[in-house]
Amino acid sequence: MRSLLLRSASAALCLAASAYSASAQDADTIKIGVVAAESGAFVSAGHTLPAGVGLAVKEINDAGGVKIGDKTYKIELLKRDDRTDIATAIAATQELVRDDKVAAIFGSESHDFTLAMAKITQPAKVIHFAGNSTLAKVLNPQSVAPGGEDHYLFQSEPQEFQRSGSTARGVLSLLTPLVGHPLKKSVVIVGNDATGQFLTSYYVKALKAEGQEVPEVIAYPPDTTDFSPFLTRAKSLNPDVVHFWYNGDSTLTALPQALELGVAPSYFLFGVDPGIWKERGLSADVPVAMSCVPICWGESSNANAKTYFSNYFAAGAPKGVTSSVSLLYYDYVHFLADAWEKAGTLDPDATVAALESMHHKGVVSDDLSFNASHQVTHATEVCAAAPGGAITCAMQQPPAEAPN
Amino acid sequence: MLPILIQQLLNGLSIASVITLIAVGVTLIFGLTGIINFAHGEFLMIGSFVTWLAVQAGTGFVPALVIAILAVALMGLVLERGLFRFTLTRPTNGFIVSLGLIVVLQHVVILFFGPNQKSIPRPLAGVWDVGGVRIASVRVMVILVTIAVVAMTFVMITRSRYGRALRAAVEDRDTAALMGIPVRRYITGVFVLGSALAGLGGALLIALFPVTPFTGGTMVMKGFAVALMGGLGNLTGAVVAGLILGIVEGFSAGYGFSEWTDAYSFGLMILVLLVRPNGLFGGTSGPKMA
Repeated sequence: MRSLLLRSASAALCLAASAYSASAQDADTIKIGVVAAESGAFVSAGHTLPAGVGLAVKEINDAGGVKIGDKTYKIELLKRDDRTDIATAIAATQELVRDDKVAAIFGSESHDFTLAMAKITQPAKVIHFAGNSTLAKVLNPQSVAPGGEDHYLFQSEPQEFQRSGSTARGVLSLLTPLVGHPLKKSVVIVGNDATGQFLTSYYVKALKAEGQEVPEVIAYPPDTTDFSPFLTRAKSLNPDVVHFWYNGDSTLTALPQALELGVAPSYFLFGVDPGIWKERGLSADVPVAMSCVPICWGESSNANAKTYFSNYFAAGAPKGVTSSVSLLYYDYVHFLADAWEKAGTLDPDATVAALESMHHKGVVSDDLSFNASHQVTHATEVCAAAPGGAITCAMQQPPAEAPN
Repeated sequence: MLPILIQQLLNGLSIASVITLIAVGVTLIFGLTGIINFAHGEFLMIGSFVTWLAVQAGTGFVPALVIAILAVALMGLVLERGLFRFTLTRPTNGFIVSLGLIVVLQHVVILFFGPNQKSIPRPLAGVWDVGGVRIASVRVMVILVTIAVVAMTFVMITRSRYGRALRAAVEDRDTAALMGIPVRRYITGVFVLGSALAGLGGALLIALFPVTPFTGGTMVMKGFAVALMGGLGNLTGAVVAGLILGIVEGFSAGYGFSEWTDAYSFGLMILVLLVRPNGLFGGTSGPKMA
C-alpha cells in the first residue's frame, strides 16, 4: 500500500512537472491562426494563405522571434482548412479563438467567410487580417474605433474600386499598343457567385471610366468547364477585349477555348500570374493581359517580389495560378510582429494602436499603412503577353476616388 | 447570325458528348447493379490525373488514355470487391460509402499531386474555320470516340449473351442465379466497365479542359441527371437525354440568362421525372431484391 502511494505521488509529481513545462513553453510562444481553403473550389487562392503566413512565421522565428520588452517569443502557426465551406470556417475560427486562444487570425480568402469569422474574432479581441477587397461595407472610422464592432479587423487588400481601377487602366494601357488600334468595346465574362457579382460591379464601372463600351456582362455558373456557349455569345458582340474576371482557375480553363473560337483580338485574365503562364508553356496568337493580386510571380517589375517568390517556393509552396495572393498576408505577419514589438505588449488594444500608427516596409509596398478605416492602399501589377511570348509588366497606381 | 447559331449547336453537341459518356457509366452501374456511386465523378477525375501523369512521363495521348482506362477499371474492381460488394443488399449504405469515397479520393489526389489545376497539351491542335464556324479537331475527336464507345456498349448490353444475362439478373437476381448466371461476378463486371468508361471520360476531359481534384463533383451531377432523364439502365435514353441536356445548356448559355444554365438543365430533369417517373425511355429502378 505504501509503495502504491509513493508511486502515485511520483506520477503526480511527474505530471505536474510536465504541465509546468508545457505552460512555460506556452508562455514563450505566441499562437496565431490561419483559416483558408486548402481544399474545395477556392483552393487555388486559399492554399497560398498558410504558405505565405508560414513563410513569414519561419523568417521571424529564424531571426530569433518577437522581442516584447525583455522577453522573446517564438510564433506558433495553427493552420485550419475551411474546405471552401463557411460552416467549417466558422467552426475552425471558434476552435482557434476559444480553445487555442490565438492572438491573431489571418483569412479567409472569401469575403463572406471573413464577415462570419469576424463575428467571432472581434468580440474576443483577436487581431484579424483579411485579404478581401470587399470589406468597405463593414470597415469605417466608427466601426474600427476603440469599442467599435470591428476594432481588431484589418483589410490587407486595397478597396475594390482601387483594385478594379488600377487593373482596368493597366489592362487597357498594356493591350492597346499590342493590338495596334484603340480598344473601345469590352465584354466581361464572370463567375456567377457573390464575389464575382460584387467584383464585376466595380470592374465594369472602372472600364466605363476608362471610356469602354461594355455591352454585356456574361455570367457563367461556378464550376463551369465548357465555356464555348458563353464565349460564342461574347463573340457575337464583336468585342475588342474579353475580360475573364475572377477566378484564375476558370480563366485558364476558358482562355484556350476562346482562342480556338477566335472570340476577340485580345484578352484579359484576372488573377493569373505570369509565372503559371510560363510554367505551363501557355501561348496565344493574340495579346493576353494578366493581373496579379497584388504583385506578380514570374515577371514582376518589383525587385523584392523575385526574392520573395524564390523563398516562397523554396519553402515548399506549390506553383499555383494565383500564388501572388500569398502577398496579401505575408507582409502583415511581419507588420504584426513589428507592432507587438513597438507596443511592448501582446495586449490587443495596444497592438491595434501600434498597427494604426505604423508604416511598414513590405514586399508589396515600401510604405504599407492602414487608413482610418483599417484598409491599405497600394498599387496593383498588370502584365501582358505579346503573341511572340514576351511578357511586360507595370505597376498601376489606384484611382483616388471611386468612379460614379 | 447563322454562323453563331450553328456554332452554338456544335457547342451543345460537344457538351453532350462528355455528359453522355459519364451518364452511360452511371446508368450502367446505378441501373444494372443498384449501386449508387456518387464517387463516379472522382473516378473520372482520377482518369484525368492518370492521363496527366502518363503524358508527363512522356507517353503519347493514346497510350495515356489506355493507361487511364485500365487504371480506373482496376480501381473500380478493387473498390467493388472491397467496399460496394458489402453494400449490395443495403443500397443506402452504398450511397453513403460513395459519399465518403468522394472526400477520400479527392484528398488522396491532393496529397500526391497538390490541389492545383492540371492540363496536358491538346492531342489535336487543329481548328477548322467553315464559313465563320470554328470547329476544334479535339472536340470532333471526343464526339467520335463517344459515339463509338456508346455504340459498342449498346451492342454488348443488348445483343451479347453477357448483356442478356445481365438484364435477366436485373429483373430477378435469385431466379437468374438459379439459372446458373453468376450474378455477383456480373455485377463486378458492370462496375468495372462503368469505371473504365469513367477512366476514358477522364482522359477525354483533360484533352479538352484543365482539371482539378474537384472536377468530378460537378460532372457527376449532370451524369446522374442524364441517366435519370433517359431512364436508368437505358443506354438509348442516356444518349438522347445527354443530347437534350447538352443542347439546352448550349442554347441557354448562348441566348438565355447565361447564369441560369445549370438551373435550366436540372429544371428540365425535374420536369421529365414528374411527367415520366421512369425517364424518357423507361428504365429499371435498379435490381429487385429478394
